[in-house]
Amino acid sequence: MRKTKLRKSKWLVNTVLAIICLVWFIPTLGLLISSFRPAADILQTGWWNIFPHREWMTVEDIQLPKDTDLRQPIQVNGKTFTDQQLRAGVDLDGERLIWENRRARLVNIQEKKWSVITRFTLQNYKTVLGGKSYPITMPDGSVKTERGSGMGRSFWNTVAVSVPATVIPILIASFAAYAFAWLRFPGRRTFFVVIVALLVVPLQVALIPILRDYTSLGLNGTYFGIWLAHAAFGLPLVTYFMYNSISQLPRDLFESAFMDGATNFTIFSRLILPLSVPALASISIFQFLWVWNDYLVSLIFLGSQPEVQVMSMKIANLVGSRGNDWHLLTAAAFVSMITPLAVFFALQKYFVRGLLGGSVKG
Amino acid sequence: MTAMKRNHALIALIVIMMFTMLVTSCGGQNNNQPNNQGGQGNEGTTPTTAGTFLDKANNGEYKGKKVTMFGPFTDADEVKFNESVKAFEEKTGIDIAYEGSKEFEATIAVRVGGGNAPDIADFPQPGLLKGFVKDGKAVDVKTFLTDDYLKKQYNDSWLKMATMPGKTGDVMGGIWARSSVKSLVWYNKKAFTEAGYEVPNTWDELLKLTEQIAKDGDPAWSIGIESGAATGWPATDWVEDIMLRTTTPENYDKWVAGELPFTDPIVKNAVEKMSEIWFNNEYVYGGRKSIATTPFGDSVKPLFDNPPKAWLHRMGGFITSFFPEGVTADDYDWFPLPPIEAKYGQPALISGDIYAMFNDRPEVRAVMQYFTTGDSLKTWIQSGGVTAPMNDVDLSTYPNDQERRMAEFLKTATTIRFDGSDTMPGSVGSGTFWKGMTDYVSGTVQLDKALSEIQTGWKK
Repeated sequence: MRKTKLRKSKWLVNTVLAIICLVWFIPTLGLLISSFRPAADILQTGWWNIFPHREWMTVEDIQLPKDTDLRQPIQVNGKTFTDQQLRAGVDLDGERLIWENRRARLVNIQEKKWSVITRFTLQNYKTVLGGKSYPITMPDGSVKTERGSGMGRSFWNTVAVSVPATVIPILIASFAAYAFAWLRFPGRRTFFVVIVALLVVPLQVALIPILRDYTSLGLNGTYFGIWLAHAAFGLPLVTYFMYNSISQLPRDLFESAFMDGATNFTIFSRLILPLSVPALASISIFQFLWVWNDYLVSLIFLGSQPEVQVMSMKIANLVGSRGNDWHLLTAAAFVSMITPLAVFFALQKYFVRGLLGGSVKG
Repeated sequence: MTAMKRNHALIALIVIMMFTMLVTSCGGQNNNQPNNQGGQGNEGTTPTTAGTFLDKANNGEYKGKKVTMFGPFTDADEVKFNESVKAFEEKTGIDIAYEGSKEFEATIAVRVGGGNAPDIADFPQPGLLKGFVKDGKAVDVKTFLTDDYLKKQYNDSWLKMATMPGKTGDVMGGIWARSSVKSLVWYNKKAFTEAGYEVPNTWDELLKLTEQIAKDGDPAWSIGIESGAATGWPATDWVEDIMLRTTTPENYDKWVAGELPFTDPIVKNAVEKMSEIWFNNEYVYGGRKSIATTPFGDSVKPLFDNPPKAWLHRMGGFITSFFPEGVTADDYDWFPLPPIEAKYGQPALISGDIYAMFNDRPEVRAVMQYFTTGDSLKTWIQSGGVTAPMNDVDLSTYPNDQERRMAEFLKTATTIRFDGSDTMPGSVGSGTFWKGMTDYVSGTVQLDKALSEIQTGWKK
């Protein structure tokens, strides 16, 4: 009796999960498919048309007299229709009448047939990775083709920003979390409350004051500046997260370590760090994703000089001054997605593997 | 045992990380010159023509200096800009470091506020620059360029548009570096001639042509105003163009300055004139309902379908970069949006980029002066997509007839006015005006309601 109930609720949870997955997955799939389609095609048909589907296909043309008045009822094959009907298409037992070209007074008879779109291209990816080419007319009249930069440079820039900006705050926060959880010092509770309270302060309010300080320190547009910024903005959440994990560790473990003469640093590096690998891995993923996808902080503190420009900014600039190259966004999105995905799958096993199980037993 | 080894590896990794951080952070230092911010900076220098800063730069006096620039053009425009200043950089040894950002409008205020202003910023909206000039953040270019020199380089209307109220009286907030003509109606040259249509010279002829095309079986106009967060701006351009053709330039100026309200019959009349075309489902490709949902850049494409699905498209000169691949200068042409009332002649609506100076150093002055010369634009003009605001550009520089005629059109137009929505304060020009027009076009609100909604932007 209980078992069936349990099974039922499990079934319900799974269905809900499946639906949520589907809702997230379908647009991503659409984006992926679109990234392989020529730009003109994306404008004409939806991405789902690459699957076999039934479509109206012209089987016959009817040429109406050239002087047909479009504002009067129109005679086609002895039947009378209005212009409105012919624009929308009229169904006649399985066949459809629709304008092919109103100007030429050409009407199509169409039937539903199976069709599939097979036009694919790698051009979007080529442009995104290799850069666009721009024809420039030189003063002497010759035309030279200037090649824009691809995403390679900004990819490495983003790596150079993200890795330290993930490691620094997590390192500091783990130290802090250990202290907050297991050390006794005056003002511990107050400090901790302040840090948690900082969680609700939006980082936007700090932009201009920090920018002023950075300007006077000469930190604008440097990697060091942006690491500091990301580390500072990330610290409250990471500290809170690490505190939750570290404070859950069993006290006996540390006591026995103390007995054996371990210092705080030994305990931290030999016990805490290995035991909180799952927590470290998951907060790393969070922080890494946040930094990798960040646009605002790098826009303000890093700018878009090519030697430091990160990928999110490069992608935004790819669409061109007036958004004329929007189709490149599809491919660019997938290129920028690869690294976070790799990081996620590399660290994912730590979610599953609970290191704590059995550790106390020794 | 293995766990211990892993710990060592982890610690080693962290140590290596920290070292790399230190090393790279020292290497990544950008040079940030001290900037005398606030920027009145008349350090006793009197404007002279003999031995100008540009001459000094050409003599190599500022070799090795760096001038930072920040602006909204990215991608192709950025490449064209860099190409056109290359010769100057090689000659003078000044490095013009251009930084383009899609978020220029939002970022520039933060940068100037944070004391990190670029030496030169490129404003596509003089309305945005006005705020900085008022606070005394931008340097008055008249401190180093004489009236005579400016008059020689620019027409009066350009100089007037660059003059803005500063902290103490009117100052010249910047210099015009490039422009683009907006009052253009594009068409597919071959199809247009084959169909036997003729370029209309008056508004009535334009309406007749529209009706003729509808009778022949096609919608004449292809219109789209979708543009992401900026949806609605092409509609404001139409209204501005029609305003210039149905009322005096003085009224237009008053309207842009906020003295003539949107609810005035003059403005209402202009919008109604637009609606005559826009809301007739036989005149617009896809009908009224598709206008607000079609991206402006895609809306020009039906003109070049075979056979064309639409015939006319009103848009600025830059639209050529949206033409489908393979369309060359032989395939398209334009005519000016014709006059509505003969007494107002043939006006031209324009947009352009004004370069403002935030840090006053001799080499920045030299670069600013360089930007007032046609030389700074030459390669860009030849590569297409820009019209020169300065006088010393030879018409033969333009790459094709269409662009050359744009430059001529600028010179012969009865009145030249800057895009009104770019000149109004942001809360109206890029706020309620865009939104109100979109609401009206999509049919959510009636005209009177829309206009009074737009007007509320002035109170913000």
